[in-house]
Amino acid sequence: MKRLLQLVFTWWNGATAGTLLTTSRSGQFVGEDEFGNRYYRKPGKDPTIGVERRWVIYKGEADGSAVPAGWKGWLNQTVHVAPSEETYQPREWQKRHLPNPTGTPGAYRPQGSILRAGERPAATGDYQAWTP
Amino acid sequence: MPKLIVDGKEIEVPPEYTILQACEAAGAEIPRFCYHERLSIAGNCRMCLVEVQGGPPKPVASCAMGVRDLRPGPNGEPPVVFTKSPMVKKAREGVMEFLLVNHPLDCPICDQGGECDLQDQAMAYGVDSSRFHENKRAVEDKYIGPLVRTSMNRCIHCTRCVRFTNEVAGVGDLGAIGRGEDMEITTYLEHAMGSELQGNVIDLCPVGALTSKPYAFKARPWELIKTESVDVMDAVGSAIRIDTRGREVMRILPVVNEDVNEEWISDKTRFIWDGLKTQRLDRPYIRENGRLRAASWSEAFALIAAKVKATEPSRIGAIAGDLNAVEEIFALRQLMQALGSPNLDCRQDGAQLNPAFGRGSYLFNATIAGIEDADAVLLIGSNPRREAPVLNARIRKRWLAGNLPVAYVGEAMDLTYRAEQLGAGAQTLVDLANGAHGFVEVLRQAQRPLIIIGQGALARADGAAVLAAATRLAVDVGAVGDDWNGLSVLHTAAARVGALDVGFVPGEGGLSAQQMAAAGALDVVYLLGADEISIAPGAFVIYQGSHGDNGAHRADVILPGAAYPEKSGIYLNTEGRVQVADRASFPPGDAREDWAIIRALSDVLGHRLGYDNLGALREALVAEVPHMADRNQIAAGALELPAIAAAIAQMEPAPFASPVVDFYLTNPIARASAVMAECSALARGAVAQAAE
Repeated sequence: MKRLLQLVFTWWNGATAGTLLTTSRSGQFVGEDEFGNRYYRKPGKDPTIGVERRWVIYKGEADGSAVPAGWKGWLNQTVHVAPSEETYQPREWQKRHLPNPTGTPGAYRPQGSILRAGERPAATGDYQAWTP
Repeated sequence: MPKLIVDGKEIEVPPEYTILQACEAAGAEIPRFCYHERLSIAGNCRMCLVEVQGGPPKPVASCAMGVRDLRPGPNGEPPVVFTKSPMVKKAREGVMEFLLVNHPLDCPICDQGGECDLQDQAMAYGVDSSRFHENKRAVEDKYIGPLVRTSMNRCIHCTRCVRFTNEVAGVGDLGAIGRGEDMEITTYLEHAMGSELQGNVIDLCPVGALTSKPYAFKARPWELIKTESVDVMDAVGSAIRIDTRGREVMRILPVVNEDVNEEWISDKTRFIWDGLKTQRLDRPYIRENGRLRAASWSEAFALIAAKVKATEPSRIGAIAGDLNAVEEIFALRQLMQALGSPNLDCRQDGAQLNPAFGRGSYLFNATIAGIEDADAVLLIGSNPRREAPVLNARIRKRWLAGNLPVAYVGEAMDLTYRAEQLGAGAQTLVDLANGAHGFVEVLRQAQRPLIIIGQGALARADGAAVLAAATRLAVDVGAVGDDWNGLSVLHTAAARVGALDVGFVPGEGGLSAQQMAAAGALDVVYLLGADEISIAPGAFVIYQGSHGDNGAHRADVILPGAAYPEKSGIYLNTEGRVQVADRASFPPGDAREDWAIIRALSDVLGHRLGYDNLGALREALVAEVPHMADRNQIAAGALELPAIAAAIAQMEPAPFASPVVDFYLTNPIARASAVMAECSALARGAVAQAAE
C-alpha cells in the first residue's frame, strides 16, 4: 500500500508510474552500475529530442549525483558506448564514485564545527595571556 | 539674511553660508568628496555641482560659492538653486566618470569597501561602463608612517588629508607634488607623519587611498558590531565607536561630539586596540615561594581575606589607577571605609589636587568647547600636544581664528601653534602671580583669559602652592568670574576626576599614594589598576587590573579585571563631564568586571557591599554623588578660594616638566601594544635625529 502511494504521489522514490510504463513498453535494458541503478534506452532517434532517448531508474532515492562518471557520460550523449558494453578497467588508483553526501550524516563539516563528531581542537583564543 | 529657493523650497540662511550649506539646510543632499565641514574649502573634486538661476551659466561648485554671491532676479526674486535638475545630474555623472577614469576597480580587496564615499556616490551618479580604453594611471604607494597605509592608485586628489595635516594637526607633513593626473600626495621624502592626530586622515579619505595599517585586511565594516563608548587614553574623554567581531576589538573610530572631540581622536585612542589582545591577565595568580602561580578565584580571595584579617585597618591602603571607571573606584572606597582604613589615594602621580579646595579646583572649568571663546591662553606645566592632542587641536583652531596670544611656563615645546615661553619653572609663575611679568597685562586685557594648569606643575611636592599661585593669578586677571571661569586643570588620567568626585583621597590621618608606596608604611596595598607607582618591598600587594604590567610584576595576588571596552562604566573627563561607556566586548578567560570583583571580595572579607548589580551600584553612587546621574552634563564646581590661598608657599625652582614623556606609552594597554611601541620608537628616533 505504501509503495503504491509512493508510486502515485512521489517522484523521488524510484521511478514514477509513467517512467515504469515507458520502460516496460519501449525501454531496452542496457546495464546496471555498481550502486544498482539500472539504465535503459529506446533504440533509434527520438524525434522530439533528436537523439536516442536514455534514462536511469535509481535504486532507492532518486539522486542525480549517484550516477557514476561513465554512465553519466552515456546518459548525456557524451559517448555512444555504454560502460557495460566496453571493456574498461579502472586503474587501482582511481577512486570509487561517491554520490554527493550533502544533507546526509556523511556531509563535510569544517574543522571545529559543532556538528562534527569526535574531539574538537582546543580554542586558541583571540588574546595572548600574560605569564609571570 | 539672504533668501534663496532650493528645489522649489524657499529658505533664509546666514550670509556666510555656502550654497552647499544652504542646500543642506533646505534638506537637499549634495554629494561631495573634497568638501569637509571642519576643513578649508578646496573646491577641486567638482562633485557638488548645482545649477543656479541668476548665477553663472554653467554648473556651480556649491561648496565654494557663497550665497552672498548669488544675484537676485530682475524683480528682486531670490536666486533659485536646482540640485536635482537634468543638467546637475549630467554634470555630476561627468565628474564621476572622470574620477573613475583612473580609479582602480579593486573594491573587493579594498579596506574602504562598504564605507567608501566613491562607492556610494557611484551608485547614484556612476555610469555602467567605461568609455576610456587607455591604461589607468599607476601611482607608487608611499610610506607615510606605521599607522596609515597608502594605496595611491585609489587617490582622487581631494586633498582632505593635506588640508587636515596643515590646518588641524598643524604639521606640514603631507603635501601634493605634480599637477593634474600626475598629482601625488606624499610626505615628500617618505618619512613618517609626525602628528599625534594622523589617524584621522584615514576617516577623512573618501576613498581607500589612506587606510589603517594595523587594521589592514582584518575585517569588513558590515561584519562588525559597533558600540559607542568613551576613550580613556587621556582625560579628554573623546567619544569613540568600538567595532568588535566576537569578543575581539577590531578597530576604534571617533564619534562626533562637538563639546569634546569634534570628530577627531588621537592616534593612541585609535590604534590602542592591539594592546587589548596581548599581555592580558586572564586568571588569578598568587605568589608562592617568590613565584606567581595560577590560582582559582576562591584561593586568591582566601589568601587576601587571611592577610586582611591579620592586619590592622590603618596598615591597609588602596591606590586607584588611571583607567578605572567611577563604579569600581566607588566600590573600593566603600570597601576600604568598611574595613576602617583611611589610606585611599587616586593620585598615583602625586598630583596635589584636593577635593577640599572645591570641585572647581580640579576641573577644566573653561570647558573644551569654551577654548574657542578664550582670547588669551597661558599654559602652566602642561604640554597639551602630548597630554591631550585633541584638546591641543582645539587651541590651535582658536589660534588659527586669530588674535590669540599663547604663552607657557615650562619646558620648551612645539605645540603646532606659536606660543611664547615665559619661563621654565616656579619663579616665572611667582612673577606672574605678583603681576611682575609683562604677560599679566595681556591676560588682564583679555575678556576671557584661559589659564591651563597641567599635571607637570601639580604632580610635585609643592603642587598645592603652584595651584595657589596660579589661582591667585587667575583671580587677579579676572579669569574667575560668574560667566567665565578660565582656571582650568588639564588632567592626564581618565579616572582622576571621577575618583576625586567620589572622594578617593586620604581620609582623616590617611596616607597619600607616595607615602603608601614608601617602605614599611603599610602591610597590605590594594592596587586598582595602578601601574605608574612602585610599591617598596615588604608590603603585601593585591593588584587588580587587565594587563600584566608594573603592578602585576610587583603583586602578591593578581585579580584579573576588565579593560575599558569590556565593561560598562562612568568616566568623567577633565571638564568633569559625566560620560557613560558601554560594554563592547567581554573580559578574557576568568577575568571579571572590576566592580564585581570588589563586590565578591567584600563578601569574603565580611563587609558585604549593598549591591548585586551595576544598576544598584549606580543608584548607590548617585545617592552619594548626585551629579553622576547627569549624563553628558558638567556640574559646575565651586572654588574654595580661601582654602587655596592658604596653600601658598615657597616653591622649588625645578622647571615644570610634562608627566607625559612618551605620548605613545602612557598606560598598561599602550605598553602592551606593538603598534604603540613602533610609534614610540619612531618618535624617539625622530627626536634623536633632531638633536644631532
